[in-house]
Amino acid sequence: MASIPNHAKHVRFLERHLSLLPGSQQEHDVNKMAVVFYSFTGLMALGIDVAEKYRSSLDWIHRHYITIKLPGWQQTISGFTGSLSVQIPGVNTVSLPNTLFALLVLKLMKDETFWDNHLDRQNIMTFVAKCQSPENGSFSSTLDYKNLKPSPVDPKDLRFCYIAISILYLLGCRNHNEFARHINLDKLLNYILSQQCEMGGFGSYNEAHAGYTSCALSALYLLGKLDQLSDEFKERTISWLCQRQVSREGCMSLLEPNANYDHDDHGGFQGRENKFADTCYVFWCLNSLRILGTQGCELPARLDLAEQFLLHRTQNTLIGGFSKNDQDDPDLYHTCLGIAALKLIEGSFDGVLFMPKNDAGLC
Amino acid sequence: MEGFEDIQPLPITTELPDELCRIMYTDEYKETMGIARALIQKQEYSKRALDLTAKAIGLAPAFYTIWNYRFDIVMHMADQDEDAARLLNGELDWVDETTLNNPKNYQIWSYKQALLERHPSPSFKRELPVLELMISDDMKNYHVWSFRKWCVLFFHDFTHELSYSDLLIQKDVYNNSAWTHRMFVLKHSNPDQKQIQLELEYVKEKIQQVPQNVSSWAYLQGLYENFLSGSYDTSIVQFAQMLTNNVTESPETAQTSWPEIDSSYALEFLATVYAKKDSTKKKAVKAYQALADKYDSIREPYWQRQISMLE
Ligand SMILES: [Zn+2]
Repeated sequence: MASIPNHAKHVRFLERHLSLLPGSQQEHDVNKMAVVFYSFTGLMALGIDVAEKYRSSLDWIHRHYITIKLPGWQQTISGFTGSLSVQIPGVNTVSLPNTLFALLVLKLMKDETFWDNHLDRQNIMTFVAKCQSPENGSFSSTLDYKNLKPSPVDPKDLRFCYIAISILYLLGCRNHNEFARHINLDKLLNYILSQQCEMGGFGSYNEAHAGYTSCALSALYLLGKLDQLSDEFKERTISWLCQRQVSREGCMSLLEPNANYDHDDHGGFQGRENKFADTCYVFWCLNSLRILGTQGCELPARLDLAEQFLLHRTQNTLIGGFSKNDQDDPDLYHTCLGIAALKLIEGSFDGVLFMPKNDAGLC
Repeated sequence: MEGFEDIQPLPITTELPDELCRIMYTDEYKETMGIARALIQKQEYSKRALDLTAKAIGLAPAFYTIWNYRFDIVMHMADQDEDAARLLNGELDWVDETTLNNPKNYQIWSYKQALLERHPSPSFKRELPVLELMISDDMKNYHVWSFRKWCVLFFHDFTHELSYSDLLIQKDVYNNSAWTHRMFVLKHSNPDQKQIQLELEYVKEKIQQVPQNVSSWAYLQGLYENFLSGSYDTSIVQFAQMLTNNVTESPETAQTSWPEIDSSYALEFLATVYAKKDSTKKKAVKAYQALADKYDSIREPYWQRQISMLE
């Protein structure tokens, strides 16, 4: 597949999220960097040179970078906020996910000057390290607004573990010692392994979830620690992931009485057992399978049917974009994930770093 | 803003050149955020500040610093209040109301956990009704189920859980969260062999009602692996054979026409059991071949992979 049909409509759909937004979008104010990241990644995967097109906005993007050392702190931290609206002088509002989003945006913008001359890698790595929970080794999405401890009220789970590791990787960590210099790697590995589920996959309290599975496997991959998983668990996880492809064939048609089954989801992937298929889980499942697959081997799943699910069921051919299913309106997240999944199938998307291939520019 | 005349607002920055995602903020948003930001900076711990955070959270639920600040206010108030429990209960009431209005808000669960951890006399009884309401609203909500499991461990109270999971399984036998919850509870409550036998009867009955259900088959397998050292006896093998029209038992290795069966999961279960012993490996291959050819053909590449791993 050379290009996604309705290319121009998807480009317009993504670009709309970067332009003037109505007041109804206010609740996304604090996560503007996420909006920029999903839009840019989608556009870049569609072959639009965002570095060229949005060069004049670099200044605005740079403003989201802050460096902070409050009275009584031993260390200085740096990172990004998701929005200028959350920056308050004298208060720590740096966000772990938005720091990753911004770093990836800078990569897509090929902004070597800022990367080399303005980013303080040590400060960012200090911030990441402080987000790690001393109790169980997982990561929080932000620090307390006054002190250098994980926020007492924020979730700590596999998503933020992946984000933390991805940031450290982008900043140059490549092996055990380089990661372990900044964070408690043994505790993190113990935490990730504690989220393994009996029937394969990762999730909290033994209910596997394709999103958490992708986060856990991507983090282990970047750490070079996939060998921490037993062969038996890897096999179970491959099986669990393959089973997430929804089908209408054979015995699967007997699933009709399940209120969360639709035979027209054929070929799509679900995030958990007995749920509807959803655009984003095509990406999370296939990325996970790819990480577990041996190189050169084809994935043991029907990629052609997954592609058809995206193109014929969740793609919006009228206004562009992708939705999670055939019912909802298209949204930015599922548009980005849908395009990423199609490009992953094509082989032109790095699912672990979540970046279009060959366009990354830096490093 | 009324009640905040003495506060110099800290306005949000907007209308910068080449700003992306510029939002046409409402006046209410600009005014509320301006005051909220000023209060966070001053670290004012007051009733009016608490009320304002509620308003700001309503407008920008993902603004983590506001939650953090609100928590700080509550902790300060609890420190000074003779009846900290009453005050924290009031805060829990507020979160529950916010939760019911916006169940997709992911910040609330970790916020509630933080409150309960600092509560002098936390009560599971207090949490149960709202959990039930949330789950009956969205029976597979991952965050709510995770929170319930967190509560069960936090309060060391497993007494309601088996009957609760049964209730949900009765409502919807395909509810994977209810099944995994049941296994979670069982694993934490040291069941004796008698109870395991009861659970086996329970799940077999559910499978007989609806044989094509991945969740109940996973539960069955979990029982054997966690409590019966993975040794599958003849009776369970016969149970699965019965649901697969004995396709694995006929002598031919391949077939041109496969009979109808009740469950591909039963067949996969047999394949897993048969693959464990050399003497039955052929039957496992046959089961995988049947899955690839007919009963679960979308996974043909995966079943072929299983066959090649056996050979
Ligand atoms: Zn989705």
